[in-house]
Amino acid sequence: MNKKKENIYGYIFILPWIIGFLGLTLGPLLFSLAGSFTNYNVTSRMDFIGFENYSRMFAHDDLFWTSLYNTMYFVLFSVPLTTIAAILISTMMNQSIPGMRIFRTIYYLPAILSGVGVYLLWMQLLDPSTGLINQFLDIFGIEGPNWLFDAGWAKPSLIFMKLWSAGGSMLLYLAAMQGISKTLYEAAVMDGASRAQLFFKITLPMVSPIIFFDIVTSTIGSFQIFQEAYVMSADNAGAPENSLLFYNLYMWIKAFNVFDMGYAMAMSWILFIIVLLLTLLNFKLSKRWVHYEGD
Amino acid sequence: MKKFMFLLMASMLFLSACGGFNLGENDSSGGDGSNEEGDSEETTASGSEEAEEGEKIVLDFWTYWGSEQRRPVIDKIIEDFNNSQDGIEVKHTYVPWGDIWTKNLAAIAAGDPPDVIINDINTVKLRAQEGQIEPITEYLDEETKNSFYDQMMEASTFEDEIYALPFNTDTQILFYNKDQFEEAGLDPGSPPSTWAEAEEYGNQLDIQENGDFERIGFYPLIGAGNDVWMVNALGENYITEDGEVNINTPPVQDTFEWILGQKEKYGENTITSINSQFENAQQDPFMSGKISMMVQNANYYVELRDFAQDMNFGVAPLPEKEEDSGHTSWGGGFVAEVPKGAKDPEASAEFIKYLTNHASQLYWAENNFDLVANEEASIAAAESDEFSDKGQEVYSLMIENMERTQLTPQPVVAPDYASTINPVFESIISEKTDVDEGLEKAQTELERIVENNK
Amino acid sequence: MYNNGKMKFWRAFNFVLLLAGSLFMIAPLFWMISISLKTMEEIYRGEFTFIPEDIQFSNFTDIFTVAPFGTYFINTAVITVIVVLANVFVNAYIAYGFAKIEFKGRGPLFIIVLSTMMLPGFITLIPQYVIFAKLGLVNTYYPLILPALFGSAFNIFLLRQFFKGVPNSMIEAAKMEGANHFQIFFKIALPMIKPALFTVAIFSFNGVWNDFLGPLLYLNDESLYTLQLGLQVFKEQSNTQWNYLMAGSLLVLLPVIVLFFFFQRYFIEGSNILGNTDEK
Repeated sequence: MNKKKENIYGYIFILPWIIGFLGLTLGPLLFSLAGSFTNYNVTSRMDFIGFENYSRMFAHDDLFWTSLYNTMYFVLFSVPLTTIAAILISTMMNQSIPGMRIFRTIYYLPAILSGVGVYLLWMQLLDPSTGLINQFLDIFGIEGPNWLFDAGWAKPSLIFMKLWSAGGSMLLYLAAMQGISKTLYEAAVMDGASRAQLFFKITLPMVSPIIFFDIVTSTIGSFQIFQEAYVMSADNAGAPENSLLFYNLYMWIKAFNVFDMGYAMAMSWILFIIVLLLTLLNFKLSKRWVHYEGD
Repeated sequence: MKKFMFLLMASMLFLSACGGFNLGENDSSGGDGSNEEGDSEETTASGSEEAEEGEKIVLDFWTYWGSEQRRPVIDKIIEDFNNSQDGIEVKHTYVPWGDIWTKNLAAIAAGDPPDVIINDINTVKLRAQEGQIEPITEYLDEETKNSFYDQMMEASTFEDEIYALPFNTDTQILFYNKDQFEEAGLDPGSPPSTWAEAEEYGNQLDIQENGDFERIGFYPLIGAGNDVWMVNALGENYITEDGEVNINTPPVQDTFEWILGQKEKYGENTITSINSQFENAQQDPFMSGKISMMVQNANYYVELRDFAQDMNFGVAPLPEKEEDSGHTSWGGGFVAEVPKGAKDPEASAEFIKYLTNHASQLYWAENNFDLVANEEASIAAAESDEFSDKGQEVYSLMIENMERTQLTPQPVVAPDYASTINPVFESIISEKTDVDEGLEKAQTELERIVENNK
Repeated sequence: MYNNGKMKFWRAFNFVLLLAGSLFMIAPLFWMISISLKTMEEIYRGEFTFIPEDIQFSNFTDIFTVAPFGTYFINTAVITVIVVLANVFVNAYIAYGFAKIEFKGRGPLFIIVLSTMMLPGFITLIPQYVIFAKLGLVNTYYPLILPALFGSAFNIFLLRQFFKGVPNSMIEAAKMEGANHFQIFFKIALPMIKPALFTVAIFSFNGVWNDFLGPLLYLNDESLYTLQLGLQVFKEQSNTQWNYLMAGSLLVLLPVIVLFFFFQRYFIEGSNILGNTDEK
């Protein structure tokens, strides 16, 4: 087939996305970009104020930096930890063991248990004196921390909770691992490969496209952590001592509590740029380690 | 892959089917789907609808009252209103607590808001300034304007225009366990009246075993925040409506010293453990007897009534800082308002007036125990036969307490001060910052915010 | 493969590890069940007990008197079925384009696809609401369903990764035989990534079933409400009816668990990317 024909086919295949993008996404996107240069308050005001929102953010708003720091901290720990956990769990799941279907369901459970109810539940589990977790630690004579009530433990609490739901991406890895041909393993075993070698030389490279996907999407997602902090901080605003004031939570407060939507829009575009750069970097680096079987 | 095509076709069929079913729902519900396009031309947009129902205006009324306690009460009031006249038909929609206001904001932005909504009283001024509410002054007569508690009416007014009518309120009072008073040799009939007394009674009520507190007599920050005590000490909010900041002042310093003094006795972990239980709302240390006294929203009585029948408790005004400094308390509440762009503010105001009149408010009070904003209705409710003796006692105290209850409307000059100031207070309480240094920091920060916003 | 003794050891080790992990995973669920069977009195008393002293199975029926959960169930099911089907098919279709057709501007366009995930949803929420309001679609299911017909970045990216595993040699061979991309997509590529399609189905089922913000914003009529909106009636202002909330949440959860349990063989033990083993 010639190049031109390929081009046409390409656009026919991605046509639904193009329609949706132009019809539903692009407008609001540009609107928020324009809004970031105004004092837009959603209902009655939208005057052009130049770069004022941006300069205020960088020069005069300590909370902007606090929220950025909190978010970076969360991303830095939660993304690698949950990715590694998900790969380990799926590797263990990808074998024939009695009760495997039940195990898989149980490990996937946390991903189904989502939303506000679960965060409330976790607040109880993390309760310093009556929570299940500290009661459990107590059995071993360990005095558990004050979790969500201690500025130093609040973020680790959330990371801990995220780790619990790592089973969600287990699905992806399992789907990918199912695709690895048994003959590959058999051939390697014939050559005397150890279990660790099988894992590192076959399993990991074969699921690398999914690892890549997982890292990119969970980085994007973790930068946007919001509801967990909103529900689980005592004042819905990042307590204790702003340790849970994540970027999106602060943006939410600006947009919906004090109606400074223009400022929130400016913040969202800074986040956009940060995440975009990281994603591009991810794509650049991926050429070195992601292995696409089909290409 | 035929299966896939089939599924796709089936889904398309489904889609159109469900579209039809939606439209049907809209028609029966009173035309709110049909007037999306032009909010100001509602007469044409919902014209066909009105013709059928005889020129009736259909008002959309959004509340977050969906529970089995509240819903029947509000539905009854609406039904009575609908039967009381022919011009207006009110349709009630339950929208989840908290999120109701996000939805409201989006609807206002799209020019298709509800006609009446229940909203937070402390942010009325801010919303008025941002142009989210229709003023209703012109639809109100003097009698209506004067039928509410003054501070609530004040909070509903911005730059001489009335933007909402208050619906219900709450006020903080002291709850104490009478049996434990007796057991500790205190008179169950005389609760503490000053901070010093509260602390002293607390000491007597404490029970310690092997260095751990089995029971906490009194700790100010259980049930109430430091802001309540600051208001109690100052007699007013620490930031006034025009932006005067009173944080770095002797009364506030005393407040934190007093709190920290008692915290030292109990220790960080004891306090966190009790407070987190309240925060997680999963168990109640007062009901389980782990604390003897605490300050709470007076509505807490309902929970005691329903879930701790055997408990012998008393209620009292907040202790005052020192004799005659005043038992100032703190309260909040909710209003009924007309979102900007509503189709017929006059009709909306008509319904709001009904919602806040004597009869409706009395009915609401008797069935939900809320302190209603209509002063006379609340006084009548205090004698209602619907309440037990205890209920009447608590309700009377709530009314009495309103004389010294301060509302703290979000100051329009510094709407988001809380995210800057609260962490400073938290850090004083957790002893990472000392009192003087912290208060000075809070004072300057808040002054700077006010300055920037002016 | 390995000698039997070693194999047995590893399997046993694995089993024990998984079992221990399960406890951690499932503990919150037991906690939920425990609360859902308690009375509010017992919850407030706050003793640490797993087994309620006075088991209230009636909590599970009582909740139906507070809100019409039957209607909500049907509403949610209708939306979910449509969105899941659309999501699976449309995203696969788009993803194939990005994975297997080399057209001009593919790289930059794909970055734009991803970038739509990077702006926080609530920033575009109000303008998007305004669009649907202007179209007169507020208070219908269209705003919840229409976006699914145009694909979502997450699913497009995911399926692209799987399509990339389809060997180019197979596609070239098919082209040689005169097949066009539609035929290749339906006959070769789609069947090969069946496990991934089921994964997308499960993910989006979960997402739509639990969606809160969409229904909250776009539905004004309580008769159109979904389960997640309905559950909120137990959580009002300061007082939460924990036992009802948990009972309701468990009922909402049940279909998802059952579905996952029975359907997992389709996507986990389904087909094989390289197509050389047990292809069905």
